[in-house]
Amino acid sequence: MVKLLLKDLGEKMILEGAIIYSNLLVLLALGLTLTYITTNVPNFAQGSYAIVGSYVALTLLKLFGICPYLSLPVLFVVGAIVGLITYLALKPLIKRNASVEILMIATLAIDLILLGVIGAYSEILSQIVGSTQAKFVFANLDFSLFGFKGILFVSTFVVILLLIGLYLLLYKTKFGIALRASMENPSLAQTMGIDVEKTRLFSWILSGALAGVAGGLLPFMQEIVPATGDLIIISIFAASIVGGLRHISGALIGGYIIGISESLITYYLASAFGTGFLVYGKVISLIIMIATLLIAPYGITGVDWKKLKRLLSTS
Amino acid sequence: MIKVKNLNAGYGKLQILFDVNAKIEKGKITTVVGPNGSGKSTFLKTLFGLTKIYSGEIIFKDKDIAKVPPHQKARMKIAYLPQTNNVFANLTVEENLKIAGYVLDKDKVKERIEIALSVFPELKDILKRKAGTLSGGQRQFLAMGMALVRDAEVLMLDEPTAQLSPKLAEVIFEKIIEMRDNFGLTILLVEQNAKRALEISDNGYMFVSGRVAFEGTAEELLNHEKFKEYSLGITAV
Repeated sequence: MVKLLLKDLGEKMILEGAIIYSNLLVLLALGLTLTYITTNVPNFAQGSYAIVGSYVALTLLKLFGICPYLSLPVLFVVGAIVGLITYLALKPLIKRNASVEILMIATLAIDLILLGVIGAYSEILSQIVGSTQAKFVFANLDFSLFGFKGILFVSTFVVILLLIGLYLLLYKTKFGIALRASMENPSLAQTMGIDVEKTRLFSWILSGALAGVAGGLLPFMQEIVPATGDLIIISIFAASIVGGLRHISGALIGGYIIGISESLITYYLASAFGTGFLVYGKVISLIIMIATLLIAPYGITGVDWKKLKRLLSTS
Repeated sequence: MIKVKNLNAGYGKLQILFDVNAKIEKGKITTVVGPNGSGKSTFLKTLFGLTKIYSGEIIFKDKDIAKVPPHQKARMKIAYLPQTNNVFANLTVEENLKIAGYVLDKDKVKERIEIALSVFPELKDILKRKAGTLSGGQRQFLAMGMALVRDAEVLMLDEPTAQLSPKLAEVIFEKIIEMRDNFGLTILLVEQNAKRALEISDNGYMFVSGRVAFEGTAEELLNHEKFKEYSLGITAV
């Protein structure tokens, strides 16, 4: 059955790439959804968070010879710090109950700042190392197992590990339940003695950490330049919106739908109509996002499935 | 228990409460009544720190807590139950009860949950259900159970019987009496069901246009001309 689905090596590689890409998209969409739920901020800098992680991984590789896979814990911490700094910068606006539009523009500004910092940093690193570091990939460093790329195993393992960690945190710890309570009703959470401010801060730290890890893995499947964050942010938003911005599980669902759709549909269109279609992968994500906003504005997790089922069964 | 002095408060630049003076007696039920828009609910929210206070004092245990934020007031054993959205719909009943004990240590939480379930045994069979799927009455039981878990000394209830059937409302009133009598709670109650609320109360306040129009014992208020006019006004509407 599987062999029938994979007509040739090309399809196997595309499916492999789709799963890897989806894994990373899940991590990034989780962060975006988390900060949106807790602070109402749609973070346009989420993509650039990942690229900060990518360049830190590059630095550790070039200056200290550390394999990027082994750098992941460091990237988790670095990403967390970026998330923390962003939240502290946004906090005055959030306190003043700034509108979503203002918060959006603020994160765009932060994104541009990160872009500038990353660009400047890549030039500095180029001088230190003696060769250009403005663009890079890690694919040549990867190992192979059973004919599949190492990144497939590592990214899947990392996603599963982080999802288990997130589940245990949210459902099995006191702070996690408080976090979920704060997400649902911050003013009621305050009446319970929960310091909502701490839960918000934690969400941004976690969001940055997840992005940092995703950024460390991204160079294994595509070339990285300072502006890559602004390209992947499209898919990150599409994933969060398709899954539903009001529930964390939406990021998980949306991440896989968008990641796999973007990869496979682009591949099949390119097969049918020519390789020119490969550059239009983001259009697939945007079309799915627009369709979702038109048909189910709150995403898949926002649909009242029981009601829908009842409607369908009676008609 | 709580003394309010010359309190002026509202939302942003919209002032709702004007020069309010009040005292909430320890271990008693105090009911606040008044027509819609008189500032009753705002009074409760203000005591808990959910509104903008322009001036005045809120003395609790010899300290002015007017500027203390809500989550710190919660740790001072003051519990506030809003009229709606008073439980976390996406959390289970059990999780709601646990979160109510957020500031207590683990063993204490377990103990308090047992106490809450003894007053609200109706909750025992539905601990695993999402709070959002509960009926209005069950939800109110949960909200009040959460207040017990918190080991609060002061309980502020904003129209706990709103949208409940008269029979269920009566059960709620009985639970309120039980919490005062068995646990020594100081209770501040805002109710549209004014007559019945005053009948179970020790003290009463009547608010009109953001000001205290009457204060005294519940019995005095029940017999007061202003209250009769207010009751008649409700009937006329």
